[in-house]
Amino acid sequence: MRIGVDTGGTFTDCVILKDSRIEILKVFSTPEDATEGILEGVRRLVGHGQRRRPTLIHGTTVGTNSVLERRGALVALVTTAGFEDLIEIGRQNRPRLYDLNVRRDPALVPRALRWGAKERTAADGKILTRPDAAELARLRRAVKRSRAESVAICFLFSFANSANERAVARALRDLGLPLSVSHVILPEFREYERLSTVVINAFLAPRLGQYLDRLDREAKRWFGIGRPPAGGKQQNARLQNTKLQKKKRSAPIFIMQSSGGITTAARAAREPVRTILSGPAGGVVATRWLADRLGIRRVISFDMGGTSTDVCLLDGPARTTHETTLGGLPVAVPVLDVHSVGAGGGSLARLDAGGALRVGPESSGAVPGPICYGRGGTQPAVTDAHLLLGRLDPEYFLGGEFPLDAQATQKGFEKFLRDRDGAGKVRRASRMTPLELAQGIVDVSNATMEKALRVISIERGHDPREFSLVCYGGAGGLHAAELARSLGLERVLVPQNPGTFSAMGILLSDIVKDLSQSVLLPVAFAGKQTRSSRSQKLFEKLERRFARLEQAARAELRRDQMPGGPVKVERRLDIRYAGQSYELSVPFTRRFGELFHREHEKAYGYRDTARPLEIVNLRIRLVIPTPKPRLQQGRVAGNAGGGLLVKKKAAWFGGRRHRTPFYNRDALRPGARFRGPAVVVEYSSTIVVPPGFVCRVDEYHNLVLTQHAR
Amino acid sequence: MHVDATELEIFKNLFHSVAEEMGAALRRSAFSPNIKERRDYSCAVFDGSRRVAAMGDHMPVHLGSMPSSVAAAVEALDPGPGDIAMLNDPYAGGTHLPDITLVMPVMAPGSRQPVFYVANRAHHSDVGGAQPASMGLSEEIYQEGLRIPPVLLARSGRIERDVMAMLLANVRTPREREGDLTAQIAACRLGERRLTELREKYGNRKTFFYLDALQRYSAHLMSEALGRIPDGLYRAEDCLDDDGYSDRPIPLRVAIRIRGRRARVDFAGSAPACRGGVNAVLAITLSAVFYVFRCLLEEDVPACAGLMAPIEVRAPAGSVVNAQPPSAVAAGNVETSQRIVDVLLRALAQALPGRIPAASSGTMNNLSFGGIDPRTRQPFAYYETIAGGMGARPTADGLSGIHTHMTNSLNTPVEAFESAYPVRVRRYSLRSGSGGAGRFRGGDGLIREIEFLTEVRGTILSDRRRFPPYGLAGGRPGQVGKNQLILPGSDSTLPSKAGFTAPEGSILKIETPGGGGWGKPAGRKRSPKKRAPNKRGR
Repeated sequence: MRIGVDTGGTFTDCVILKDSRIEILKVFSTPEDATEGILEGVRRLVGHGQRRRPTLIHGTTVGTNSVLERRGALVALVTTAGFEDLIEIGRQNRPRLYDLNVRRDPALVPRALRWGAKERTAADGKILTRPDAAELARLRRAVKRSRAESVAICFLFSFANSANERAVARALRDLGLPLSVSHVILPEFREYERLSTVVINAFLAPRLGQYLDRLDREAKRWFGIGRPPAGGKQQNARLQNTKLQKKKRSAPIFIMQSSGGITTAARAAREPVRTILSGPAGGVVATRWLADRLGIRRVISFDMGGTSTDVCLLDGPARTTHETTLGGLPVAVPVLDVHSVGAGGGSLARLDAGGALRVGPESSGAVPGPICYGRGGTQPAVTDAHLLLGRLDPEYFLGGEFPLDAQATQKGFEKFLRDRDGAGKVRRASRMTPLELAQGIVDVSNATMEKALRVISIERGHDPREFSLVCYGGAGGLHAAELARSLGLERVLVPQNPGTFSAMGILLSDIVKDLSQSVLLPVAFAGKQTRSSRSQKLFEKLERRFARLEQAARAELRRDQMPGGPVKVERRLDIRYAGQSYELSVPFTRRFGELFHREHEKAYGYRDTARPLEIVNLRIRLVIPTPKPRLQQGRVAGNAGGGLLVKKKAAWFGGRRHRTPFYNRDALRPGARFRGPAVVVEYSSTIVVPPGFVCRVDEYHNLVLTQHAR
Repeated sequence: MHVDATELEIFKNLFHSVAEEMGAALRRSAFSPNIKERRDYSCAVFDGSRRVAAMGDHMPVHLGSMPSSVAAAVEALDPGPGDIAMLNDPYAGGTHLPDITLVMPVMAPGSRQPVFYVANRAHHSDVGGAQPASMGLSEEIYQEGLRIPPVLLARSGRIERDVMAMLLANVRTPREREGDLTAQIAACRLGERRLTELREKYGNRKTFFYLDALQRYSAHLMSEALGRIPDGLYRAEDCLDDDGYSDRPIPLRVAIRIRGRRARVDFAGSAPACRGGVNAVLAITLSAVFYVFRCLLEEDVPACAGLMAPIEVRAPAGSVVNAQPPSAVAAGNVETSQRIVDVLLRALAQALPGRIPAASSGTMNNLSFGGIDPRTRQPFAYYETIAGGMGARPTADGLSGIHTHMTNSLNTPVEAFESAYPVRVRRYSLRSGSGGAGRFRGGDGLIREIEFLTEVRGTILSDRRRFPPYGLAGGRPGQVGKNQLILPGSDSTLPSKAGFTAPEGSILKIETPGGGGWGKPAGRKRSPKKRAPNKRGR
């Protein structure tokens, strides 16, 4: 029995897989102590009298929020002497070009907690200076006195030779603090990005460790779980202060990583930086799974919530990136390539000094919320606009638990337009009616999201017309069809229970172990001489290095007490033309050179087969698949009719009023088919079928929206 | 057709994303550290009458100077379908020689004239001349590198191999140049493709209508901003340390007249062009003015030509802010441009005392060097800029170790730098205490120490080594910078602009200026950081 739990700001979503049947539940999150909400959800789903031990798979925002709110551990940082300030300098650029008041958050480690070690490694891995005993003792004393709660170590070129980092780590080990060491966390080149990743890890380790300890303890108490002690003797003593990090008896709890795979709670406690985008990863995994079941290769996931929208393009398996930032700080571990924009249901509208209508990124949040929530919001938000356009049913929001105030919204829009006119700022806008303003707000937010979709598709060489949009999250259904139309997407899929789709993805995720290694190996003429003895030698050399990497990865899986079973191994190379700075990732085969040239041409419009290549990183991924549920197939009735009609009411599309039927999703049966305009309402979401679209319910209860031929 | 607020916002984003997309492709596939790591490039979209419609958020110093490139290319060559013009001549649409600009027309069926132009400019690591990396001290432009007037690099879609060969024969690192130019060409073609798609999707009429509307919109925004500045005449003066040949300071003077919703910026009284390369061509001066006024806008608007419509700029021909051939210009783009910003802000501080920051480091600390890499026996040329302290703001301390104003280029990662060049970075840290005191403190500069593992020839072009970045409202100036060449057994301080030969094992130590302070130091509130976290009250 497996339970997927996704903790969000408002709701904790739970999905349980019982004998290949799925049940869902939403409970309120408990921000004080998220474990309460989780365990309540789990208990209610599992039911009393249940003897079998559930496996809990958890997507958490503890890491993300700690970094964004700068609430983490007091970290001591040891760097190569002369580079103590690198964490503050970063790449020496400013985030906004034309802002004289530009601000930068203070560094995660203050100056007083940063120490330089007298050590140095050269680019080729040669040790130039070894930290001597006195130096090690000095560092140990300094860190001990600092009262730091966590330690980060990052030396130049440690990916080429980690001896100095290991020496310092050994010297500091008995202080009993969690240690985050750069060659362990991320043995890849580019010192600032690596440093930032390691410091974030150290910043999160104590807090995430404690959180997972508590979850583990509570879970055991609630379910009487006992598992044989996880007894890896050669426990890699990197982090030690929490129980999980020490790996005592722990409940079967897995944590979602940003890469789209899960890992044990113990490993997550030691490498928390790998969990920072745990939440959005779930939705992407679920998207891939759903599309695979339907036999669709190319999909774009579209998750629109209250303040932001996350999109991710999947052409086959989900791809990860190593260039993410969080709160302005680079995070170079693999993260699913999710692109986020500040446009959601709560995004606020305003008119700027030049008379352009702007929407977001400011959001009304949960409090006060949009005007229609009637909780003090006064500025028009995207949700308000939909309400005015008649696309939301004020009486069926959240299943009717939370009626919306349409009258207040109308007044709010009128006031907004009047105020602007009064200020004499914007003549043009005053010609707008509230309805036009509402349509404008929807159009502008669509434009923002369209831009996000373009960034991940067209800008990376994909034609959006070959993709289907999988839409979930609270507000996605209101916009998906319009977006599909403006980008020419083939169709829109709205899965069952779009509100708990991310939790579903978490439940479905495989166990994943990622390891990488920077090698910076030159390749001469890989394109031409595939069979030459030189390229044969290189290939064998790479084979050997991959084998070593795989050994290390398997050893870690064993140490983590992962369930046995077949392990799938993926090997990839990050390659560039010698002299470039950005790599493209290709699978490791004998023809990797040719694959690279092809990818390069696709991405940047040219190839140069005469130019030597450089292999920057080896990447290996071990995957242990988890059991997947079978999708329940409904019988498709010959003519299932329109489903239960809730009501017919006026709604506006493209400036015209349409009498629009509203359907209840729960009553729609496979085979049902109707034309837009129409609106489908359900507990956690509303789906708009605009004129020109046809909606059908497939045998898995998904809504499928396509443009009908004229 | 009337302007619809919604469509306006949408088109604004569309054009801007074309420019951004061109930039991303260029960065990711280029070879010069200047382009790929430091991001010293710009991409822009122009309308058929060669007005900027959108420019990526890349390098401010390119803002006002890209239009001159397009104008020069079109006037000289009138490029047609599939043609790509190339130029770097500062006296024909360029800035300084390492900046090579490509311009490509975008056609539409039924129109004989281009309906758009796309352009991109990138700072190449070397374009020949007397010094490696082409950022040396020179007395005339002929010493600074290969000067390229507008020529066609591609004709009807085919690369002109002769032109390319001519260029590659004149530079130290031809393979790298070829790669960078290929990336620039690909970025142009990408821009062309995107604009064509956009035009086809929205139709000619609407696209061109909003192209126009954007100009009016941006002009309106700027007029509004100018209208909020009190009318008056605001004068200021500041100076560059020297030109590298004599130690005479080089004064810059400006008078800004604000009247209603218009501004006139006059540089009369500035020094005449001088012997060394600190001369700025007019395009650079325009960029600096453009930058300063754009910073006054509250909205985050794309750089449109319309923004400059309400501003008139006068710069006496033959002066250091409007150089004429054959003056050397390498440092005009990188040093003088910063001082122009300083003097403009100093003048505006009188009009808007609550908004204008004290002087930032005011120099890009340009370091260039080259030689033969002992590992490969190949010639190399390297160029980088080093950040300094930001001036304090009327509401906040200045940031430390950060690029300000006319540049925003990144550092080259030490691990990339040492892998590719025979150097070892010994230190890269903040220069503690170098920011000026004040109610709000100026940001600290940086200290960078580079050990050369082989003999190199190099040049440092820097400033604010004698005259410090000014403070405002009673704030103290930031500390001046310092350049040192440390040889075994002897140290020598280099002047602000100097060529040097550094033997193997020598260390170049550069300390960059801190920012000026704002407000009297006595008014400073005790920083909460100073209080020890674990000690309660006192």
